[in-house]
Amino acid sequence: MRQDLYDKLVSYILEDQNKFYRLAFSYVRCQEDALDVVQSAVCKALEHYGMLKNEEAIKTWFYRILVNESLMLLRQKKRMVLSGDEVMEEPAYEEKAFEAQDDFTVHLNHLEEDVQEIIRLRFFEELSLKEIAQIRELNLNTVKAKLSRGLRD
Amino acid sequence: MNQMEEAKRSYDAVPIPQELSERVLSEIKKADLRRKGIQMLQKKRMAKRTLASAAAAVVLFTGALNTSTAFAETVSTLPVIGAVAKVLTFRSWETETDDLKISVEIPSVEMIAQEFKGIEKSVNEEIHGLCQKYADEAVKRAEEYKAAFLATGGTEEEWAAHNIQIQVGYEVKNQTEDHLSLLITGNENWSSAYSEMRYYNFDLKKGQLLTLEDILGSSYAEKAEASIRSQMEERQKVQNIGYWEEIPVIDENTRFYVNEQGNPVIVFEAYEVAPGSAGAQEFEIVK
Repeated sequence: MRQDLYDKLVSYILEDQNKFYRLAFSYVRCQEDALDVVQSAVCKALEHYGMLKNEEAIKTWFYRILVNESLMLLRQKKRMVLSGDEVMEEPAYEEKAFEAQDDFTVHLNHLEEDVQEIIRLRFFEELSLKEIAQIRELNLNTVKAKLSRGLRD
Repeated sequence: MNQMEEAKRSYDAVPIPQELSERVLSEIKKADLRRKGIQMLQKKRMAKRTLASAAAAVVLFTGALNTSTAFAETVSTLPVIGAVAKVLTFRSWETETDDLKISVEIPSVEMIAQEFKGIEKSVNEEIHGLCQKYADEAVKRAEEYKAAFLATGGTEEEWAAHNIQIQVGYEVKNQTEDHLSLLITGNENWSSAYSEMRYYNFDLKKGQLLTLEDILGSSYAEKAEASIRSQMEERQKVQNIGYWEEIPVIDENTRFYVNEQGNPVIVFEAYEVAPGSAGAQEFEIVK
């Protein structure tokens, strides 16, 4: 039974790894970092697969790990930049210029971070609102409100 | 929602680096190794328990010592290793397909002395079953690996370069007039996680399977553990091997063979008592 679930998790990871990478990339915006995020998410998931309750939960459970890993890496980066003695970099600047061709993406990048995130999960990863709420550990209504705010702005 | 679609398109257009599947696979393999490390002890106990019950059932086989004449003829043409017992290849085959190469050599133990009461027959049956099972499972694992490899963007050519090989075989660790130690091994060249090692020790004088207790006496567990601990300490100094704090319990299921001096040598597989980089660890317990 446990073994079974483990095998399912492994095949899910193998199957959807490209999606993981894209989502991670949408957070960290850099190939190396995105690879690191996916790798450590896979590592954590396999290590703690005992916490996985059932097969249906695999997706949301894994996405939660993935999103948390991405956010953690972003936080670490921010801290690193601030504490460094070198010339301060402004990481956001480059990223906006890079996306300049795409009006909507620019627009998206201007929204609050958590609103951006919900839009990405909803429309790019095509997750249901309920799944998003589970992944981000938010109230379903909060997710709905944030999403509609994001779309209106 | 046109803009949204466009944004989604650019989101989906993020190129996937080739490295991704390699890194994901390497994590999966690492996790497999970790799991194997935990399961190994339990599995080992289980396996050895079956051996013990096989030995107990020996009496039932008394009458059934004679094998087929064809087999007996093959036997007589093979060189005799020792005076009272010989180990010979019972069946051996090799196949090579595009995907993998497998070679299997299954041994049989033939006792010459009468008082063996057919013990070798039950042991042989167990050995044959074990080898066959390992070979079958290894082929299946290789096929699964291939499917996963192709599913994640690997090509047939890249797969061919993997050169998958499976080997099942045996080794006579040692044989004297008094005892015979046989090692059965199963290996896959692409993963060490499923390697199998099984030792069989025969007391040729008494016609039975040898246990640690037979050699070291009733306090064999304490004796062995003390000896292992002191040897570990020594090796830690000389070779800088960081042994785990806990060592597996020494009991009737502990893996060992008998060396030329008649001392048992306890064998721990890689990861069992030390980091995998240190490899398998052997400890001779002086009587």
